[in-house]
Amino acid sequence: MPAYYLEAAVVVLGIVLMLMDAFVEKAEKSLVAKVGVLGLIGVFVALFFVRGPEAGDAAPIWSFYAVDPTALFYKGFALITTIVVLLMSLDYRGVLQHFMGPEQEKAGAGQGEFFYLPLFTCAGLMWMASAKDIVSIFVALELVTISFYVLVAFLRRNVGSLEAGVKYLILGALSTGFFVYGLTWLFGLSGETELSKIAAQLANEDSAMNLYPKALLFALSMVLVGLAFKVAAVPFQIWVPDVYQGAPTPVTAFLSVGSKAAGFVVGYRILQPFIDANTTPQLITLILAVSGATILLGNLAAMQQDNFKRMLAYSSISHAGFLLLALGCARTAGSQINVQGVMALYLGGYLAMTLLAFHVMCLVRDQLGGEEIATYKGLAQRSPFLAFVLLIAMISLAGIPFTAGFFGKFYVFLVALQSRYYVIIALAVLGVGAGFYYYLKVVRAMYWDEAADDRRLAVGPMSKAGMALLTGIILVLGVYPTPILSLFASS
Amino acid sequence: MVTLNHYLFVSGLLFTLGLTGVMLRRSLIVIFMSLEMMLSAANLSLVAFSRFNLVNGLPNYNGQALVFFIITVAAAEVAVGLAIIVALFRARQTTSVDDITSMKY
Repeated sequence: MPAYYLEAAVVVLGIVLMLMDAFVEKAEKSLVAKVGVLGLIGVFVALFFVRGPEAGDAAPIWSFYAVDPTALFYKGFALITTIVVLLMSLDYRGVLQHFMGPEQEKAGAGQGEFFYLPLFTCAGLMWMASAKDIVSIFVALELVTISFYVLVAFLRRNVGSLEAGVKYLILGALSTGFFVYGLTWLFGLSGETELSKIAAQLANEDSAMNLYPKALLFALSMVLVGLAFKVAAVPFQIWVPDVYQGAPTPVTAFLSVGSKAAGFVVGYRILQPFIDANTTPQLITLILAVSGATILLGNLAAMQQDNFKRMLAYSSISHAGFLLLALGCARTAGSQINVQGVMALYLGGYLAMTLLAFHVMCLVRDQLGGEEIATYKGLAQRSPFLAFVLLIAMISLAGIPFTAGFFGKFYVFLVALQSRYYVIIALAVLGVGAGFYYYLKVVRAMYWDEAADDRRLAVGPMSKAGMALLTGIILVLGVYPTPILSLFASS
Repeated sequence: MVTLNHYLFVSGLLFTLGLTGVMLRRSLIVIFMSLEMMLSAANLSLVAFSRFNLVNGLPNYNGQALVFFIITVAAAEVAVGLAIIVALFRARQTTSVDDITSMKY
């Protein structure tokens, strides 16, 4: 089965759910999400049976669609994220119901879209994992971004959600403007749209890219600006706290994992040849400077947050800094370690712990009605299970050993040490130290403080299974990260 | 004789105008217009690059194909964007960015 059937299957599934939404009773809209989850699990299984181009197959699609370990890894990444986001949306129905408006009093009205729109985002993310041509990168990126606009502004009776939607819209469109302008110049300098052909021209002394290094640097900086918006790096992180806070929690989770992974997979594909060739050494300096500032600002700003969602927004900024640091080391890291594997490991752990934290947040918001850290006081009494999984997520985010977060950071530090970027390492150590403070603040609220009342939290069996699986991923990656690293070892 | 540089200059000018508009104007609609201008700037430079980088005596059509994709995607973006702005207007009776600050901490 050719790999592009997967994206087709996800889109078809999305359209089927759209039709289904028109026919199911309003009170049973959750069926749409459940069928979506099952369908996506099916696609995930199919992921292990796909093939790339056979020898001599010169179909045009293979010139802009890659099937390599990167593509397959990030396709699975997108599928898992979407599955968990759908499970989260099921736990978020109460809030959706509340904000879908007084005139639609019937339970479940207007919820269907919320359950099938993520599938189109997922298809975009999967395309992006494979995209290796400027055109397909652009279209896939926009498919993701535009469906996110709708999802972020979904609670249309909630001013916060609308404001978040507008902010994301304006800044997202602005980043697209920069990104496209950069791609334009890249095309102008090379005369090609295929990334591998552009990279091949770098070796040619007479190509315009080597004749005009300043123009090349301009193009790459523009691309970097566009991507910095997507992955939430300083100084283009301003939208993140507001959008994360205002958007519906499942969407926030999707945004922080999906959008970031997409930004980095595209960033690596486009920038890696240029980092390797080093015709524009300023590019690496630029990436490292952005990375240092991002780590520092993300962690320091997170320390003073009382809102858990806003705190995670800043934490997601700081993780973008660590990933950028890894990207900046792509040329100088030792030959035993593949930087792409390091980034994949970091993102894999990040996926599990972030989704876990947001899933607990969905349940708490839905049943206790708050997102402040104070709401989490005594969570261990309300639900020992939720408190435990959130504890795992928090210590993993902080980077304590035997969790995925530890190995993620460990390898980033390792490649940075091999590259001898000591200043950034110092900043990163400072960032990790600050991280301990604010992540453990949540743990203290859960276990040491008394609950304000004796309400208990109910967790559905599907959500419980999903959370247990994510916790498992964190703990397994925390002692045995080799599978992800070896996936990229050969490439 | 109009050269590639002239086109690139105009395109750069359009891009800068759009960026300035996004940063300085306070009305969401005008900001959105400025954003479209930035995409048009990219389109103009793409067409110019494609016209001046001849492949076997013909323009490089890859760039022109990308232009159509950009136009289409921009249209989709406007459709969604204006809908969001209308929804915000219904809720707040304003389209000025000075009024959407309820989440400052």
